[in-house]
This record gives sequence, structure tokens and C-alpha cells, in this order.
Amino acid sequence: MRISTLLILAKHVWKNKLSNSGTRWVIGICNVLLLVALLSGYQNLTHQQETSRHFSHEVRERWEKRPDKHPHRMAHYGYVAFRLPYPLSFIDYGMDSYVGKAVFLEAHKQNTVNFSEASHSNGLLRFGEITAAMIWQLLLPLFILFLGYDLIAQERESGTLRILLSQGVSWQELIFGKSLGLFVLVLSLIIPSIFIGFLLLLMNDQAFAIPFIYVRFLILVSSYLLYLLVISIITILISANSPHIKSALIQLIGLWLLFTLIIPKVSQVISFNMYPTPSKIEFDTTIEKEIIKQGDSHNPNDPYFKKIKDSLLAAYKVDSTQKLPFNYSGYVMMEGEKLSAVTYQKHQESLTRAYIKQQNIIRLTAIINPYIAIKNISMALSGADYFAFANFQFQTESYRYSLAQRMNELQMKFISNKTKTSADKKSKISQKNWSEFPDFHHEFQSLSSVLYQELVSFTTLLLWLIGLCFGIKLFTKNLSAY
Amino acid sequence: MTSLLFINLMRSKGLMVGLLVLFMAGLISLQIGKSFLEKNEKIIEKTREYQEESIEKNVELHSKEIGLLLYYLKFGYVNKMPRITGLAIGQRDINPSLQSVTIRNLEEQKYATDLMNPLFQLLGNMDFSFVLIYLFPLIIIAFSFNLISEEKEGGTWSLVISQTSNPITLIKTKLLLRFSIIISLLIVLLILATLYLKLPWDVPLLAYSLLSILYITFWFSITWFLLSFHLNSSQNATYLLLTWLMLTIIIPAGINAISTYKYPVPEAFSTVLESRDGYHNKWDEPKEPTVTKFHQHYPQFKAYKHPEGKDYSWLWYYAMQQMGDDDAAAVSKEFQEKLLQRNQFAANIGLFVPSIHTQLNLNSIGKSDLGNHLSFLKSLEHFHEKKRLYYYPKIFKDVSVQEENWKNITLAYFDEKIPDKWYLQLISYLIFIGSFLIWGNTKFRTNKY
Repeated sequence: MRISTLLILAKHVWKNKLSNSGTRWVIGICNVLLLVALLSGYQNLTHQQETSRHFSHEVRERWEKRPDKHPHRMAHYGYVAFRLPYPLSFIDYGMDSYVGKAVFLEAHKQNTVNFSEASHSNGLLRFGEITAAMIWQLLLPLFILFLGYDLIAQERESGTLRILLSQGVSWQELIFGKSLGLFVLVLSLIIPSIFIGFLLLLMNDQAFAIPFIYVRFLILVSSYLLYLLVISIITILISANSPHIKSALIQLIGLWLLFTLIIPKVSQVISFNMYPTPSKIEFDTTIEKEIIKQGDSHNPNDPYFKKIKDSLLAAYKVDSTQKLPFNYSGYVMMEGEKLSAVTYQKHQESLTRAYIKQQNIIRLTAIINPYIAIKNISMALSGADYFAFANFQFQTESYRYSLAQRMNELQMKFISNKTKTSADKKSKISQKNWSEFPDFHHEFQSLSSVLYQELVSFTTLLLWLIGLCFGIKLFTKNLSAY
Repeated sequence: MTSLLFINLMRSKGLMVGLLVLFMAGLISLQIGKSFLEKNEKIIEKTREYQEESIEKNVELHSKEIGLLLYYLKFGYVNKMPRITGLAIGQRDINPSLQSVTIRNLEEQKYATDLMNPLFQLLGNMDFSFVLIYLFPLIIIAFSFNLISEEKEGGTWSLVISQTSNPITLIKTKLLLRFSIIISLLIVLLILATLYLKLPWDVPLLAYSLLSILYITFWFSITWFLLSFHLNSSQNATYLLLTWLMLTIIIPAGINAISTYKYPVPEAFSTVLESRDGYHNKWDEPKEPTVTKFHQHYPQFKAYKHPEGKDYSWLWYYAMQQMGDDDAAAVSKEFQEKLLQRNQFAANIGLFVPSIHTQLNLNSIGKSDLGNHLSFLKSLEHFHEKKRLYYYPKIFKDVSVQEENWKNITLAYFDEKIPDKWYLQLISYLIFIGSFLIWGNTKFRTNKY
């Protein structure tokens, strides 16, 4: 393969296409659309950051302002945790709109994360969201195929293909050269938005403190370039394989439809049937039944807790729980919380694993569909994928658990066994204890875990490129100039 | 001539492939709809069983105090799903079709969601309305974009002109043939749907069919209009695909972004905070104001008083719970209203964008739109209030648990009525179709070749 020939071919594509007013319109419209998407995405991000910050602050303030009271009342008053958007999510909302944003954390009970954007939607959300990621992964391929479907088929139809080949240009050079030309055209669609995206990221005050966020942006952008290069080559290959431009166009549009709409939608049905997951009612009932089997911490005659009581009385050599050196009901609740949290966590983890298995089936379709590879990579790097959400859920549950247990500890330490109810004056402890308990902070996943989680998608995307480059040799053997 | 055109059309390989793809996609969508309906039925059945079981168990466990028993009892309320939801799943995979609530504070209960893989929600269901809105137009475009230009580019156009006095009739016949083939396929799929999903022959089905037919007709009218410009094949393809892209992706997504921006809902979070403080803070406050507020809300319960000097009474406890709802009532109402505004905004825009109009109306027929969910929430409030009003006096009087018949409690259902004047929704299509056809006709008359 001669580099000079490649460059000539690529330059020809570039010049030829740019001379067409239609192409210039496409480039213009696409860049305007991307600018709008980036700005509205950024506006949305700052709005969400603001809301989340505002309400977290308010929750904390209300928590600290609670007067002196019985610690178990505080455990029930609980906390509300808000999910922070990852700063890169202005590029790709990913699943952010479909997963909840706020969760009420209280003792004994694991609530669902509620108030997703989707639950407030009038149905238009299902048409998709305008984000830079959507344009890069969905619309740019469509533009690419419009710009590229005729690049070889047209030459064949008009007979210039024979002339080219007879002048010593090899098929490989032709395909690589034209792909390169097409890809350079694509760069004019994507580079301005990359630049603006980076500026917006620099502007965000929360992005600054997050380690490796700029590296994440770089990997994100490179993955998109790789994806678009793959799409450009596929477009040229199909154009080379079509007898007429019309059939090239129809095949390419069919392929686009298959990649972006049909395969993703059908594969989710398959994956659900392979790994069925429970509905909420099944999930809750299973946990409830299991917890009832273990014992009821609110029932003093429960056999499990009676055993604990007997052994405690024996250990401290006293004859009634009232004489124990710590608050007995606090101790029982601590045990109860531990048991129920472990059970819940076990089921929650298996549910999360099942969801990930379902998603892995879809992830694997990347082998036949590069769109899915980039979609997963993009969501992951933008911090808007399922792993990020599951991680948030995990953080809130550990916070909930430590809050409930801290309150139980305080109860054991400071509340006398003689107090009857929480309304009793003696059962109140100072509000200082509330402000001593740390605030909830949503921590983002590290870059290395994100890369590890999407290893499959990165690998398949690379395989697509390598496969196409090697495949061309075999592929071109059967091509004819007519 | 028509029969010759028909034979010629049926011989084309592309057409058969296109129709087959559409047919297969239609069948898959019916299967997806069916399994969605089945899954919902299973959830309802499970809840019914669970509710019976749990009521029985709790009545046994807390047989001494009706106040404590009602702390635990959950009452299931189902948003009835008609069979036709299988053809328009809409928002039903996001908003739960069933809520189980206790008579305690409702605000903390009513936003609970079902468990669902968010990736599935993101990718969306391939229900029949998706096939109709996205795939049918693409096939229509693929069949007709080169109706005239093909003849021109193939060199047969001059032959056509020389043999007929009016080439427009020929184009009309060709387009009508394609129209009847596509409409026949649509009708076949709808008939299969009624059999496979066991849809009743009722007004919603009629509405669904009419909307689908008009949506398809709308796309043919656009094609007719564009053909009247006599552009070449690739220009036709470009413009039609651009129209498709604008109508099915860019405009709806843009409108969605605008409606989210225009009607933000920070109230969602405020309701949580207000309701939490409304209830939980009352534990530490003097009991009298709480009880007085409760009496102001329900004067009929003034006779029941909190026993003086006591630390606890069920009247006071449920009064606190009530405050959770009462304190959040204002923000909660605002929140609901914002959502209604969002819904109305989309509906208004829909009048000018047939793809949005179709999606929203099909969802409304399938009772799977936001409007339906909001009515369900409203009705859930009434249901909850009725339960409260029924049990409050029993709790305050402390009637014996055994006096009540707990066996009678079953799931309750909410069934939204379809709007009376649904056919008015068809007007928007008729205006679009009419104007494109007439405009196209006039263009053809001045621009025959």
C-alpha cells in the first residue's frame, strides 16, 4: 500500500464532497446541533448539581437542627441522600434519566431510589434525548453513510472505477484511501464539538477536583473517533460491494436501523428471558419471609432474641435485662439491624448481579454491533452507567446502616434500661451527637474500575477495527470492477 | 394498466424483503406486548396472594390492638391495564401499575417504583407503536422515493409520457398501489394482534386502528408532496430521510429537552423533605397542637381526644402521620400540576408534529401515558383517604380486631375512562394529509413532467 496514493484518494474525497453544497449544509447543521446539545447538556448538568447540592445542604441542616431526643427517633427521622451527576454526564446522560435521584434512608428499611427523570416524563423521553453522545453515536453514522454510500458505487456506475483500477490503484488502497477521506470529513463534524466539550468541562467547578477526569474525557473522545473510523470503513466496504448506488444506500440504511434500533431492542428481550429478574413484590416478600424466619427484634418473646437475652444475662451475671450495664433494647435492635441488613444486602447483590448478567448479554452483541460497544463505553466514562448507579446504591445502603447502628450504639451507651418510652425526659440525648455524625458524600467510581468494567466493550471495538483491516484483503478478492 | 403495474411491483425483490422485515418486526412486537401483559398479570396475582397471606398473618399476630394492626396492613391498588396496552406499552414499564399502601402517611409511599433493569428502560420496548411510528415510514420511503425519478434515470420516462395523456394518473396509481399494500399489511398485523393478544373489539381498538391508518396516510401524503417537485432519486431519498429523522428523533427529543427545562420539578425533592419533617418532628413536639390540627382537618373526629398525661395514643400517632401528608400537600399539589403542565405542553406540540401526536395518543389509548399515571395517583389518594376515613373511627374507639371482617379485603382497581371526544384527535392528521395532498396536486398540475 502506498501512502501517497492513499492521500491522493483521501484528498479527492474531501475536495469532491466539499464542493457539494449539500455536504456543507450537513456539516453546518451537524455542528449547530452539537453545539445546542452540548450547551443544553451543560445547563442541565449545572442545574442538577445545583439542585443536588441545595437539597443535600438542606437535609444536613435539618438533621443537625433536630433538638435533643431519643437516638432511635433520629434513626427513624433518617436521612435523604441525593445522587450527584458525574461532570462528564453533560456529554452522555446514559441511564441517568432512568434511575432515581433521591433515596430516603431510615432504620430497619431499605427504600427504593425514587424520582427518576423518566417517571416525570410525558412520554417524549422515549424518542431519545438530545446529547452530544446521541449525535456522535447515532446521527453521525447516518451522516457518514449519506456522505459515503456513493463513493465507490458511483465510480462503478459511471465506469471510472475501471479506469482507476487499470491505473494501478489496488482495491485495498482504494478502500483505505476513500475511508480515510470519509473519516477526515467526519472530523469536521466532530472536532469543534470535542473542543467545546472540553472547554465546558474546564468551566465546571466540580470537575476540577475529580482525579483523572480529563483523562476520562480523552479516552471517551478517542473511543468515539475509533468508532467513527469503523463506521467509515464499513460504509466504504458496502459501497464497494454494491452494483448500484441505490442498493448501497438501502443496505446502509438497513444496517443503521439494525445496529441502532432493532438489535438493541430485540437483544433485551432475549437477555430478560435468559436471566429473569424478580418484580418488587417478589423481591420484598422473599426478604421479608427470610427476616421473619430469623426472628423479630421488636418481639420480646421471639426465640432467637430470647436466646441472645439468656446468654447476655448469663455473661453479665444478672437476673434481668434492666440490670445490664447498657441499654438492652438498643442492643437487640443492633442485632436485628445487622441481620436484616445482611439479608437485604445479599438479595440486593444478587439482583444487581442479575441485572449485570442481563446487560452483559447486550454488551456481547457488540461483536456484531459496534454501536452497542460505543454506547456502553460512553455511558461508563460519562459516569452514567449501571455500575455507577449500583455503586451509589451501595454507598447509600452502607451510610444507612452506619447511621442506624450509630444511633443504636448511642442508645446502648446513654439510655437507661429503666426508661419506658422515647418521650421520657431521661431518654433524650444531646443534639451534639447529630452534628458529630458525618454527612453523606456521593463518591464517584475510579477510572480503573470503569475501564475494567467495560473491558469487553473496549476490546470488541478494537477487534472491529483490526478485523476490518485484515478482512479487507479477503473481501476485495471477490470484488469486481463492473 | 393497474394490474400490470401491480404485477411489476410484486416482482421486485426489494419490496418483498421490505414487507417481510416489517411483518417480522410486527410479529416480534406482538410477542413483546404479550409478554409484557403476562408479566403484569403475574405481578398482580402475586400481590393478591401476598396480601391475603399477610393480612391473615398480621390479624393473628396483632389481634389485641386494631391501631397497631393497621400500622402493618397493606392495601393493594391496581391501575388496570387494558389488553391494548400490549400494543402501546408507553410509560407502563417505568411507572408502576400497582401500589400497596398502608393507611399511614401516603407521601412516603406513593412514589415507590418497581424493580427494573434501567438499561432495558433506556433501550425502550419494541412494541407495536414503535414499529408503526419508526419502521413503517422507512419502508414507505424506501418503496416510493424513486417513483418518478427511477423512470427518468432509467430512460423510460419519455416512453411513459408519450403513451399517456396524463402522467399524474400513472404516478397516482403507482403510489395508491403501494399505499394499499402497506395498509393491507397494517390491517393484517392488527388482526393478528387482536387474536394473539385477545383484544376485545371495542372503541379503543377502533381508535388505535384509525390513528395508525391516518399516520401511514400522512407519510404517503408527504411522499406525494415531495414527488411533485420532480427531484432526482438521491435528493428524494435525502429529503424524505431527513423528514423521518426530524419527525422521529430530533424534534421529539428537542421538545422533551424544552419541556424538562420549562417545567423543572424541584418539588419532587421538596415533597420528601416536607413530608418527612411534617411527620417525624411531631414526636418531639407537644401533642396538643398536633391533635388540634388533626381535628381541624377532620371535625367529625373531635369527639375523640388524646388521653391527658399519656405518652402515647393511636389518635396522636395517626394525627402525626396525617401531618406528614398535610404539610407536604402544597408542594405535592404543585408537583402534580407541573407534571400535568408537561403533559399538556407535549399534547399541544403534538398537534403540529404527527409522530409525537401518534405516540401520545396511542399511549393514551393504551392507558400508558403520563396522564393516566397522574389520574392513577389522584385516585390512589382517594382510595387511601377512604381507607383512612373507614378505619380512623374504629382505631380511635379501639374496636376489637375480631369484629372486623378482614377476609373481605381484596385488591381494588382503578380503571380510567377513555376520553369522550377521542375522535377529535384525528383532525390534526386530516389537516396535514389534506394540505399535503392538495399542495402536491397543484404542484403536479403546473409541473407535470
